[in-house]
Amino acid sequence: MKRKFIILLILWIFFILQTTVLHMVPALSATPNLLLILTVSIAFMQGQKEGMMTGFIAGLLSDLFYSQVLGLTALIFLLIGYFCGFFAHIYFDDDIKVPLLLVGTADLTYNLLVYVFRFLLNGHTNFGGYLSSIILPDVISTLIFTLLLYRLLYLINHSLVEKEKKGRQSLWIRD
Amino acid sequence: MKKRFNFTSKNLLVVMVIVCIALILATMTSKLVMKPLRDGTGFIVAPFQNSVNRIGGWLSDQFSGFQDVQKLSKENKDLRAQIDELTTKNNALVQQQSELDRLESLYQLDKEYPQYSKVGAEVISKDPGNWYSTFVVNKGTADGIKVNMNVIAQGGLIGIVTEVGRNWAQVRSIIDDDSNISAMAQSTSEPCIVTGNLLSMDSGKIDFSGLRDKDNAVIEGASIVTSNISDKYLTGLLVGYVSDISMDSNNLTKSGTIIPVANFRSLREVLIITDLKQTKENSK
Repeated sequence: MKRKFIILLILWIFFILQTTVLHMVPALSATPNLLLILTVSIAFMQGQKEGMMTGFIAGLLSDLFYSQVLGLTALIFLLIGYFCGFFAHIYFDDDIKVPLLLVGTADLTYNLLVYVFRFLLNGHTNFGGYLSSIILPDVISTLIFTLLLYRLLYLINHSLVEKEKKGRQSLWIRD
Repeated sequence: MKKRFNFTSKNLLVVMVIVCIALILATMTSKLVMKPLRDGTGFIVAPFQNSVNRIGGWLSDQFSGFQDVQKLSKENKDLRAQIDELTTKNNALVQQQSELDRLESLYQLDKEYPQYSKVGAEVISKDPGNWYSTFVVNKGTADGIKVNMNVIAQGGLIGIVTEVGRNWAQVRSIIDDDSNISAMAQSTSEPCIVTGNLLSMDSGKIDFSGLRDKDNAVIEGASIVTSNISDKYLTGLLVGYVSDISMDSNNLTKSGTIIPVANFRSLREVLIITDLKQTKENSK
């Protein structure tokens, strides 16, 4: 329960950071998608169900504020959580290569889907322009922030798991 | 707690996907449903966004303010250089514009006296003084300039060529004290003499005298042009307008002052009429 609450808290903090101060960092040409990093990390570290719920809540939150269609981002994030959860069984240490790969793929997929659903269907067919000016900067800055944040998320998760292990004397805290 | 999630992650996926699609369909069909939800989440997020934004903005200001000093001073330097460059360019353009204006008025003058052939010339030096009475232009014998050719500008007679070199010519203007022009009132064709005057030069006027005017036809503002009986000046060139006129003590002739049409202070370009007045000597 505590773990879920803390994930929600981190999600909320990430959401606020992503929607406020990260726009102001002058070195970033695109705002990193912190919620996506969180979803992928949780799915990778804790499994499909956690990943799905985190993705769903994160997507719903951004939908509520920045989207006309409620549920689309939630659906994409949900699926990202689900698919990244497949890799949970190879998670065992703070190796960052797999999460980087997952975040990169997920962010690219997410942006492509957003492009297809929100722009291509509205008749904006200039894919090359969108790719180079929006999608790629987004992916790159998200990857940079993955490097910074994954370690932190890993440490938080690790300490939570350790506490739960101690509290419940169980090895099977991962679903 | 874990026991509650008995179903597999696949089941959860299906349920959640259905939830998402239901949400999408619901919002696409009616927007009203969303408003309380949006308001609710806004309530828990917006105030924090607001304050974080302010803190972030303040930090960003501090940081970039510090960073900006260097950038600004460099920008300032660049802009100053640019201002200098643009000022220079602008000055050049303004000069070209006024040159264009002058040349246009000269062109108008050229059309006013179509019967004469003319050569344009630039004033290159002048007698020092408030208003110069002789000046030098940049055309000479090489361009066919000869002594006694008439010089016009700004709509009227300026002077006469008194000396000529290969590529220069000295012009004595009509306001010079030595200048005597045989002129006439345009309306009555009565002859008079127009003389430059050192004393009235400062007020921009030259004198005329010996005008017969029984009928008081010549009044203030009447045009004075060069006379047909003049031996140096071509006929009908505008000299100026009568400024004041009075009867002489001999009760026969009148005299007074003329305001020349040209502004001698600002002479830059002139036209030299290359036709010489036909006289007994040169018509042989």
